[in-house]
Amino acid sequence: MPTHREPALRTIGLRKAFGDHLAVDDIHLTVPAGSFYGLVGPNGAGKTTTLAMAVGLLRPDAGSAEIFGVDVWRDTVQAKGLIGVLPDGNAMPERLTGREVLTYLGLLRGLPPAVVAERTDELLQILELDSAERSLVIEYSTGMRKKIGLAVALLHAPRLLVLDEPFEAVDPVSAATIRTILRRFAANGGSVIISSHVMALVEQLCDHVGVISDGRVVAAGTLADVRGAGTLEDAFVDLVGARAGGTEGLAWLTS
Amino acid sequence: MAHLLTPGPTALAQHMIRMRLALMRNSLRGDDAANLYTGVSLGVLLAFGTIAVAVLWPAYLPHTLAVWFSGWIFGPILFGGGSEALRPEYFSMLPATPGRIAAALLAGAFAGPAPAVNLIALLSLPVYGWRFGPAGVLIGLGAAVTTLITMVMVSRVIVALIGLFVRSRATAAAVGIAIGTAIALCSNGWAPFVALGGTDTAAWSQVLVRALPSGWGVAAIEAPWPLALAILVAGAGVIALLLAAWAVLLSRRVVSAARGGMPTRRGAPRPFPAASGARITAVKELRAWWRDLVRIQLLALALSYAIVTPLLLVTIDSWIMVPFAGLIAIVMAAASSANLYGADGTALWLTLMTPGAERADVRGRQLAWLVVVGPAAVVLSLAGTLVSGQAWAWPWVLGLLPALLGGAAGLIVLLGVTSLVPGTDPHKRGGNPLSTGADETAETSVAWLVLIAVPATALPTAGAILLHPWAGIATGVLTGALSAWGLGRIAHRRLENHGIDLLNLMKHGPAPQADKPTTADLPIQHRIGVTISYLIAWLPLFPQGLVPMVMKIVGIEDRGWFLALHLPPVWQWPTIIFMIALGLLMYGYAILIPMRLGSSSSAATS
Repeated sequence: MPTHREPALRTIGLRKAFGDHLAVDDIHLTVPAGSFYGLVGPNGAGKTTTLAMAVGLLRPDAGSAEIFGVDVWRDTVQAKGLIGVLPDGNAMPERLTGREVLTYLGLLRGLPPAVVAERTDELLQILELDSAERSLVIEYSTGMRKKIGLAVALLHAPRLLVLDEPFEAVDPVSAATIRTILRRFAANGGSVIISSHVMALVEQLCDHVGVISDGRVVAAGTLADVRGAGTLEDAFVDLVGARAGGTEGLAWLTS
Repeated sequence: MAHLLTPGPTALAQHMIRMRLALMRNSLRGDDAANLYTGVSLGVLLAFGTIAVAVLWPAYLPHTLAVWFSGWIFGPILFGGGSEALRPEYFSMLPATPGRIAAALLAGAFAGPAPAVNLIALLSLPVYGWRFGPAGVLIGLGAAVTTLITMVMVSRVIVALIGLFVRSRATAAAVGIAIGTAIALCSNGWAPFVALGGTDTAAWSQVLVRALPSGWGVAAIEAPWPLALAILVAGAGVIALLLAAWAVLLSRRVVSAARGGMPTRRGAPRPFPAASGARITAVKELRAWWRDLVRIQLLALALSYAIVTPLLLVTIDSWIMVPFAGLIAIVMAAASSANLYGADGTALWLTLMTPGAERADVRGRQLAWLVVVGPAAVVLSLAGTLVSGQAWAWPWVLGLLPALLGGAAGLIVLLGVTSLVPGTDPHKRGGNPLSTGADETAETSVAWLVLIAVPATALPTAGAILLHPWAGIATGVLTGALSAWGLGRIAHRRLENHGIDLLNLMKHGPAPQADKPTTADLPIQHRIGVTISYLIAWLPLFPQGLVPMVMKIVGIEDRGWFLALHLPPVWQWPTIIFMIALGLLMYGYAILIPMRLGSSSSAATS
């Protein structure tokens, strides 16, 4: 049986190549139970690939992943029951309305109809999707798609939330709502992993951080350990060995 | 500070052509390259065939060119205009008039293999003109160019019209009915011609094929030169008109938001019933059927084909196929539902992340398909058999109906998870509401597989009926239930074990070292062979084999274009049997070779 002493998520030597390109190379991550974990890295670093392998949506070439001690690839059904996932860019049942998507998935999970109806109402209202009652998901804006994806991840009250870029394209008011929801979830013992480009956001929300660059973990630990004395952004730029550009060239634009 | 750089018309056209060629170069990797080479070699073969027609059977040249023309018309409808490599949306912010952009896009549209192949076919015009002297060759050359531009333009205008106006269930169904009727005419269109009377029809059809844009070249060559020039000038005028129409359509398409093939709705939908498992998936699927224009169009296609095909034979007073309209509808509807999982795209992740949902998903899709197709098939079967007065058909209809329904419900989910053809996710599709963005060649071969496999599931029932007419009903119900249950069970087991691989096939494309053998892994000569077999095997099997067989049995005198019926009586049955065997052999080759070579190559590498 999974216990609270097991980490919420542990990946052991995850590795994935797409053709000749090694997207993820030997990733070891440990997300303590009850933590709010931020996974950061430049574009194309392998964050999305890592998270997809960690939750069982992408078969790794090597390595394994455990959720509260449950092996994702061996005890698939049990692991799936423990997590809520918001992947980046996947389709939804596009020809249902937001309410229909939540009702359908809740009933498919075997939740009692009354519970499904109550949770659906609350989620739609809090995420301000109730005004688009007649729109199908295919007609949603990018931000609305994120919000319905988040509602899907929350619907069955999982113990671990794995959210890939949950704040991308979301308006500031909704983002504040989502931050509050996630903080409450973590404060009540839930574990959260988010991936993001926005350092300020990670600094504000997370207590643990992992930095990925070129498919490898370059730093991981508590926020204080990773950022040291400076800001997370400074530490990040140092860690990934990048140099902020934009001061040279483009003479034609500024003349 | 800022320079307003508007390239001239020629420069813009040159850029489009370069961009189109660059897109083609970049997509020419692995599978796509092999598909392209197969398609082009087949096309060149047909093009030289057309030139051969101009030399050997000149009277049929306008008919042959009409076939090329219909390819340009129906190709984009059937295959959703997938070849639209340069989307007008890319250029909506260019500071140029719609007319200029349309002309440049047109130039880009020619920088592809299809127009080049078609141009070879149109060289049949100057070859035909040779009979009328040097002037004929000259007019033929001019006509070849104008005909090519007209054909490509008509094709583009149709794609643009569909993109703009197919926004409701009615228009989607109308397109489906038009295509279904056209396919029915291709297979049984000879019947009304026969009914209209022998030689008169020939004269009438000669005028018709010359009146079509594809026949203007032939008409010009045959006409005295002032009239010939007038026809060419008129052709150029038509091109100008089409271009103007296209420019208007394009500028409207760019500013009207694409809704991914969604009909308009009023009011909030009814709440979901409090069901669970397979039934809740079925409810979701039924709503998807009702709200997806692609599915509505394909369903309309299947039903209209099933109704029109038997009715065409009624024109020669043959009611033999009318009782079977419902059965044809089942097979056609199954063929158009063969890529259910591919059409939904990466939404599969939700099924995979919900514990134990795979079974409910497969069973729900089967249930929804039966609810959509079943009632129509039953009504068509009962009404058809009653109206036709073919009492002998009752045991066949009542036995085959449950057998085919069950077999189809089992096969569509099985093929959906074993032969998935990845498309574009619904929310990322372009301006064409009837396109799923899937590889048309692959989708078509899966559809052919269904057309053969679904009737095969009813073979035991057919055998039982031959033994005893009423034994068929019990056998039909039993094999139907077994097929739906058993094949569905294999499907959901496979979804449980390989669902992740399907998801990533749709997300990232085929894995470089695929475990699953596909046609793409075949050596090129077998790929060409398999494609050609799929394309023409129906010719010996159906119109040259089964149809003359039925005509001989029923005693229809007209010989039509059926080779066997033109031969001395002693050779007729052997020819019919040879044709049927040839068709079956070609299908067998096309299906078995990829399996055999695929398994041996994967065995060699593993």
